[in-house]
Amino acid sequence: MAPSLWPGKKRWQGLGRLTPWLLLLTGLLLVRFSKGAGFVDAYALLTRPFWPGSAQREWVEAAVDLEQRARLTLLEQDNQRLRGLLELQQSGQTGRDVAAAVISRRPRDWWQQLELSRGALDGIAKDDAVLGPGGLLGRVASVTPATARVKLLTAPGHSIGVWLPRSRDHGLLVGTGATRPELRFIVRDPDVRPGDLVSTSPASTLLPPNLPVAVVQSVDDQAVPFATAVVQLIAAPEAIDWVQVRTR
Amino acid sequence: MNRLHRQPICVASALMVPMATLATPPWLGLDGVPPCWVVLWLLPWALVDGPISGALAGAALGLVLDGLTLDGLTLVPALIGLGWWWGRIGRRASPVQRSFNLGLLALLGTGILGLTLLLQLLIGGGGGGGEVLEPSLWAWGLHTLACQTLVTGVLAPMLVSLQLLIWRRRVPA
Repeated sequence: MAPSLWPGKKRWQGLGRLTPWLLLLTGLLLVRFSKGAGFVDAYALLTRPFWPGSAQREWVEAAVDLEQRARLTLLEQDNQRLRGLLELQQSGQTGRDVAAAVISRRPRDWWQQLELSRGALDGIAKDDAVLGPGGLLGRVASVTPATARVKLLTAPGHSIGVWLPRSRDHGLLVGTGATRPELRFIVRDPDVRPGDLVSTSPASTLLPPNLPVAVVQSVDDQAVPFATAVVQLIAAPEAIDWVQVRTR
Repeated sequence: MNRLHRQPICVASALMVPMATLATPPWLGLDGVPPCWVVLWLLPWALVDGPISGALAGAALGLVLDGLTLDGLTLVPALIGLGWWWGRIGRRASPVQRSFNLGLLALLGTGILGLTLLLQLLIGGGGGGGEVLEPSLWAWGLHTLACQTLVTGVLAPMLVSLQLLIWRRRVPA
């Protein structure tokens, strides 16, 4: 065949050869910037027959009852303290709880995260609180239509404001990668001792108020600039198959 | 020239990496830390298909895995570098095929990958805003790095040898 006299034809042929690669690159970028939406949704669809059964769900619901009783006690104390403050926002539960199965977990990897079987279609949104049996587990970091990704409280750099209901001292719970996060106080001499309950602040707007989070294990009074404590989370991410997502 | 990337079944095997990453059971890891599946797939691929294909596969898998993890850390630069390096090694006259050598390469690759993640944590201050990593974060980072490197190095002689055998049969040099 004689060579073409049209230089544009060669250019179009070159572009034609590049098209599949450009489409592949576009696809990969879509996966990257949609936070793996297609992959995680496909994974959720494929693993649906293997999701945890209903027996564990009932066990979780029983544990949630226990958690709610503890929460009720905290709320009663809170109500007494707030009786005279008319301006404070009501701390009641406004959202609803969505039960979701844990379909993938990486509590000890570089990224400490869970993948849940419910997503935006069930009303879950970024920053919703995720509760395990007994207490707070983490917050929703991103959602796809059918799944949600949870950043665990133990993840490095993850920090939330908490307080000690007994002494009413405030602190910052910071994930250090280990299974036991660190509680950093923002007062010089906090009244804290091993065994103290740690919960979300009653005036919290980012998280639901008065959620049990952890129990103080040990206290370091010599830390600078302020005292720190090591806490044990009440809800252990390694052993949980069902969680509740509190939507807003 | 080897054309592993022209065989759809070989390219499709890359889908096993994100699936294995999501579905790894806790008992398969060391102290809960799972193996680095991407290294176990990329090493034989780059050895068979060369540096350019290795670097491109590393970039593609890095993008997918970045999409499947929390924001803040990226695997892309390290995987591109590893794909290129292993591809260069695969182009040498005597092909790498001994189990010990494959295990050592996987061990080094996982170590380098983990160090880049630790470096990103150091630069980003563990997501806390630029401060130097604290001792507890260092301890956790080194523990995770050691566990992942060891478990990947142990699995590599079995899995990488098998993949090399299959892929070298499909595309003889």
